[in-house]
Amino acid sequence: MLNSFTLRFLTLTIFWLGLLVLKLSNMLESHFFSLAAVFSILIFLGAALEVYLGYAGDRYLIPVVQTLLAIGLVLLIRINPSLAQDQFIWANMGLVIFYLVLFGLRDYRKLEQYQYIWGLAALALLLVTLLFGVSVHGATSWIKIGSRGFQPEELVKVVLLLFMAAYLNSNRELLRVGTIQVGRISLPDRKTLGPFAFICIIVLALLAAQKSLGTALVFFLLMIFIVYMVTERLFYLAMSVPVILLMGTAGYILFGHVRVRVATWLNPWIDSTVGGFQIAQSIFAISGGRLLGTGLGNGIGAYQIPLAESDFIFSVIAEEIGFFGSMAVITLFVVLVLRALAIGAKASDRFGQILAAGIGILIGLEVIIILAGVTKMLPLTGLPLPWVSYGGNSLIIHFILLGLLTNISHNSSFSMSEVRIGKRVGVYE
Amino acid sequence: MFMSSGIQKIALIIVFSFIFISFGLLYWQVVNADTMLDNPANRRAVLLESRIERGGIYDRNGIVLAQTKQTEKGKVRVYPHGEMFQPLLGYATVKYGSAGLEATEAANLLGMKEKSLVKKMQNTFELPRQGNDLILTLDTRLQEVAYEKLKGKAGAVVGLDPRNGEVLVLVSQPSFDGNTIVEDWDEIVNRQGSPMLNHAFAKYPPGSIMKVVTSAALFRSDFDTTELYSCQGFTIINGQTISEQNHKAHGWVNYDLALAYSCNNYFAEFGVKAGDKSFLQAAAGFGFGQSIPFDIQIPSSSITRDDPLPDKLSLNLFAASTFGQGQVMVSPFHMALITAGVANEGKIMVPRLIDRVLDSQHNIIYNYKPEVWLEALNREEADKVKSAMVLAVNEGTAAPGAIPGVQIAAKTGSAEPGGDQSTHAWYIAFAPADNPVIALAVLVENGGTGGGAAAPIAKAVIEKALELKEGVNQ
Repeated sequence: MLNSFTLRFLTLTIFWLGLLVLKLSNMLESHFFSLAAVFSILIFLGAALEVYLGYAGDRYLIPVVQTLLAIGLVLLIRINPSLAQDQFIWANMGLVIFYLVLFGLRDYRKLEQYQYIWGLAALALLLVTLLFGVSVHGATSWIKIGSRGFQPEELVKVVLLLFMAAYLNSNRELLRVGTIQVGRISLPDRKTLGPFAFICIIVLALLAAQKSLGTALVFFLLMIFIVYMVTERLFYLAMSVPVILLMGTAGYILFGHVRVRVATWLNPWIDSTVGGFQIAQSIFAISGGRLLGTGLGNGIGAYQIPLAESDFIFSVIAEEIGFFGSMAVITLFVVLVLRALAIGAKASDRFGQILAAGIGILIGLEVIIILAGVTKMLPLTGLPLPWVSYGGNSLIIHFILLGLLTNISHNSSFSMSEVRIGKRVGVYE
Repeated sequence: MFMSSGIQKIALIIVFSFIFISFGLLYWQVVNADTMLDNPANRRAVLLESRIERGGIYDRNGIVLAQTKQTEKGKVRVYPHGEMFQPLLGYATVKYGSAGLEATEAANLLGMKEKSLVKKMQNTFELPRQGNDLILTLDTRLQEVAYEKLKGKAGAVVGLDPRNGEVLVLVSQPSFDGNTIVEDWDEIVNRQGSPMLNHAFAKYPPGSIMKVVTSAALFRSDFDTTELYSCQGFTIINGQTISEQNHKAHGWVNYDLALAYSCNNYFAEFGVKAGDKSFLQAAAGFGFGQSIPFDIQIPSSSITRDDPLPDKLSLNLFAASTFGQGQVMVSPFHMALITAGVANEGKIMVPRLIDRVLDSQHNIIYNYKPEVWLEALNREEADKVKSAMVLAVNEGTAAPGAIPGVQIAAKTGSAEPGGDQSTHAWYIAFAPADNPVIALAVLVENGGTGGGAAAPIAKAVIEKALELKEGVNQ
């Protein structure tokens, strides 16, 4: 097995190689050296901390995420140096918060008891956003505190996952078997399904009301997948298809900008200077990358695509490091999602299983939906690419999710026999 | 185990979604990469330019025709000769895109046509990049003469070296100044006479110069072209009256005299005798209905409006086509190639405008070699046409282009464009007749007769070409 230090070394090699290429192209201002040095030291300190405290969880998760983060940082320097400077600070903060969650949260299991608090917190966060939020790029998803902005829907990802994991764990059997028979299908009764359905529907409605359609789509699919995973009933999965069609049609009729999205998705070239601009420019950038890419710093997408630093960062990756490079990034995400699902399968308790797999599903959905959007395979719904796109909110929240994931992995790494003899395991002393 | 099969199925769904996205990437990055580059809204080439220094364009003697200069205001594209080489060179602007050679040779000028991997690697890391230089086959000294003569009129002058297809002169009028294209855009676009259109590549009715093509059909028939025919000034074929210019009766003419005097009746009568198949075959042999292998796209010359090269012609249309009326349309550039074919023993060479491409270290990247495009005539046929064209200069309609001391071969054309407009004046010529160094076609739109309007221009260019040739020989 590869030593965790070796993997960190590999990650940082990729990072510094990227910086070197930017330096050769005169695209690296010198103050980035100190930022990059701090970041590199933090990564090694983290690895040292893992060894010192005896981290026994998944070995690959952390290096994979750090590699994605490093790739994102290099690209952001290339796309917009002043944003990259912020992102370095977020990245360093994210790493610290990640280790706090991993080692500070002694046992994730105690999070289960607050299930309704999580559910209500999700509603409260979204309600506050709807009432006091400001509109950015058409969606009312930001709350301004002084000069800083905060995006509650990112935090909702964490609390909603905790709620769902806790709720589904305690009601799994009833959801699975059902108590009411409708024809050949048995459905759970209102008491079992009620609270869960209530919170999910209100969350989706609030997201739709604030026009965060991408996040709404991710949450909806997340709910369906988690319920399907827990109950293993195809019925729940099949049910999502007509619901998606219905919601999509409703959205198409209700929201003008959904109609624009669909129209520009079907034909971005007609209006490539106005409405279809983003998606057409994204495709021009991606197609210009071909197999090997234009080379870091040589693409046009970084200048041409609006939001190249956030929603469309993958288009810049695909252009500048080509098909092979973007496949490498996709592979990192696939590894990440599959490791998360594997942790879910191996977790020692059901709450942990649902939570870990749920985190994996969430990340998988976010990545798939934004990648399908920028490659014109689905209508575009704006979402940041986890750990790669610019944005402190998304970065910190995903580090909290990674913290929970590794915490579950660590706590599940001890055999049941050790637990049975009453040994305190998985708890950092 | 609890939900393990659920997790497995979810994992499969996610992995398949990622595979689906990979295929999406392949679709854009491999299958459709070139299609997207051609999309007019794609500003890749224009934007890359901001970081690449566009290479220069030079004439055959190294005289600058287009160059990028660094000024306080940034990079500026300079055309030292103003409108003389336009619209052939074209323009390359961020605001209005690009046209002409600047557009068709953008890959070369921007250095993006690198074949070697080493060069590719170098380019990835080396900024700013330097584009490649184009060395054209044009000769500025000839261009100058043709430009001065044609200035103020509408039309084109195209001159080639018939032996190797090198384009020596290519003038189109009216034209525009590439230096001020952005400032004057609106005015230029609205100016009379389509200055953006390269008149050398536009199509016109050829009139009597088409008789050179028809000649091939006559030679390949079983009648004797030395036999005499009595021209009455008009003849009626299938109820259609074919008349001579100014209703002049040429009297007794054989093939040579008919071409020299530009006798429509002779070519209509014998052309019809030879048959439409033979005529169309001859036209195909000269490149009608075919795309000309050239760096710039040129519309192919056509026999009828509906079909550039039909299988058969109605008798009336056929009779008119034999002397270049009817629906026959040809570009001055193609006409120069046809003339060069006659001059070069019947072989039309592939026309070449770009002699070589040099990279920023002056290594030759591309070097073009002469190639035969078409064998329009055999040697004997070419000789027959040539002696008739010599006769046209010495005794016939092409006399205004004659040069003392040098035998040239030429043919005039006065093509009716239709309506009440005056005729397009054509003059095709090559010189010296026995050892040609230049073949050219001159067109003056609505200029009147070929001998009157076009011949003096051709004469001046040929004189200059011969003078330069002697200069080299000495």
